[in-house]
Amino acid sequence: MNRFPKPDFESGYVYPQQQFVIPNEVLWSYIDIAVLVFLMGFVTWALIKKQIRWPVVLTSVVSIFYFGFFRNGCVCGIGAVQNVVLTLVSDSYSIPLYLLLLFTLPLVFAIFFGRVFCAGVCPFGALQELVNVKNWKISKSVSTVLGVFPWVYLGFAVLFAVTNSRFIICRFDPFVWIFRFGGELPLILFGVLLLIFSVFTGRPFCRFICPYGAILSLFSKISFRQVKITKKECINCSLCHNACPVDAIYPPYQNKVNEIRSKGVHRILRYVVFMPLMVAAGVTIMYMLSDKISRVNNDVRLYDMAMGNETNHSNVLSLELEAFWGREQTLEELAVRVEEVQKGFRIWSIIIGAFFGLVIALKLIHLSTKRGRKVYDISSAECVGCGRCFSYCPQNQKKIS
Amino acid sequence: MKSHKRVNHNPIARRDFLKSCARALAGGSLLALFGLTIRKTKAKDASCFWQIDPTKCTFCGRCETNCVKLSSAVKSVHAVKVCGYCDLCGGYYRTNAKELNTAAENLLCPTGAIQRKFVEEPFFEYSISEDLCNGCGKCAKGCNAFGNGSLFLQIKQELCKNCNECQISKVCPAHAISRVPVSNVYHLIDTL
Ligand code: SF4
Ligand code: SF4
Ligand code: SF4
Ligand code: SF4
Repeated sequence: MNRFPKPDFESGYVYPQQQFVIPNEVLWSYIDIAVLVFLMGFVTWALIKKQIRWPVVLTSVVSIFYFGFFRNGCVCGIGAVQNVVLTLVSDSYSIPLYLLLLFTLPLVFAIFFGRVFCAGVCPFGALQELVNVKNWKISKSVSTVLGVFPWVYLGFAVLFAVTNSRFIICRFDPFVWIFRFGGELPLILFGVLLLIFSVFTGRPFCRFICPYGAILSLFSKISFRQVKITKKECINCSLCHNACPVDAIYPPYQNKVNEIRSKGVHRILRYVVFMPLMVAAGVTIMYMLSDKISRVNNDVRLYDMAMGNETNHSNVLSLELEAFWGREQTLEELAVRVEEVQKGFRIWSIIIGAFFGLVIALKLIHLSTKRGRKVYDISSAECVGCGRCFSYCPQNQKKIS
Repeated sequence: MKSHKRVNHNPIARRDFLKSCARALAGGSLLALFGLTIRKTKAKDASCFWQIDPTKCTFCGRCETNCVKLSSAVKSVHAVKVCGYCDLCGGYYRTNAKELNTAAENLLCPTGAIQRKFVEEPFFEYSISEDLCNGCGKCAKGCNAFGNGSLFLQIKQELCKNCNECQISKVCPAHAISRVPVSNVYHLIDTL
């Protein structure tokens, strides 16, 4: 657009120089990875080897300042899930290496040592850790029901990421405003509410919302070395039972119904029949909803708007339509793109629906099976490695000789 | 068959066996995931910054209000080499300005971020003071409508928090904001 000619200056005027800062993120991102590995190693040493809590607190403080305030808390491992799945399916998007490491390293640590990332390295976990003082119990059935939510959240996050629609984990992050010094009011209120809750009970976000925590807990369930309350023998004194803010310590439990084998086999068979039913239900529901869900995608919404305007002409165009017609695009082109997007949504809704069915079925099965336990023991899937229980155990105290 | 039975009779051994299987599965899937994605990683040209394409932007004003920062990371940028140095600047004065003076009611910019300096008859040099600019894009809209289109909006990388997903990009009506690699982190009108 050149409505006016370039001026001919006679006074020897020189154009002012403009500066544009080129970010130097690449270097910083590798420093991030180094810090991440170092902190996770430090926490591992403290929890598994020494069984002490202060390094966890120290790590929490360091993490809040470094990953939180200094590096703005974004990108984090939780959100990186979306980048990873988008990379897997997309031809145009590519993930930077450090982000892939940010996602995988905590999982690698989880296979070996449990959720050491959650212990204090994750800035969001660290925030909740530092404000927590009480450990009010949440009943098992309530926490199991709420515990389904991270998986549902994960499912939707994956669905919207693979269809290149939105990163909902980033959109609804309740804590990152703290590190950015500002954000939307509803999210700020939600974050404050969560922090108030975490004063009274451990880590509400980690237990009932965080999708990455869900994956980590799965990995931590089978880890090689797990956090133990004491290395010595448990004397069943029950002192540690109430120490855990996330209710991860389970008391000894005698399986009263010693069911005979054939009965057990029958029960398992019932589950096996029950599981595909749940999966089928999940698939059906999600498939039916897929067109509605696809409206999260910007193109789909734009198309709906354009179609709405075709049938119901209005003189004041929305900003979206103004931009759309302004760029001289045709509705046909858009329709082709939208069809493509909706096809993606249909396919992925089926997969995610099956996943939802599986998760709910497994949770129900888990609720109905109980395993005998002789001593107080940590459920490593739930333990976030805060280290509070160590000091409660009399076996950990130094003996007076 | 025999050994299978023995495993079943000992719940601890069975549990350990299952655990090893699960570990192999978890480790294997993690490795597979890593292998599949690492082929697509690019350290240097991965597009992990956000920028506005000024040829698509319609100056809707959402950049001002939707950035996660209190004062938007989007700022107006002036391509001096494109500017006509006009006295009657479409990005400086309101269209209904009664008099061409610097009284606020005549000026387009709500924060007074655009300053002008007399160069020589009849030319004026315009510049943006970034501290004042709120990224509303009113000036750019005016300049595009009546002038050379030398004012446009850009995400200033030193101000941008580099969100994993830019919030503005999802409300931008023109779909003008996309991920860019560090080698191409600004889209300047005079170099397009
Ligand atoms: S559960 Fe999620 S939020 Fe909590 S510490 Fe772990 S990764 Fe962080
Ligand atoms: S270390 Fe684990 S089990 Fe012990 S109190 Fe902390 S979260 Fe609970
Ligand atoms: S939201 Fe999009 S169209 Fe509106 S001012 Fe920003 S870049 Fe331009
Ligand atoms: S990436 Fe975040 S900080 Fe940068 S312009 Fe977009 S919303 Fe603002």
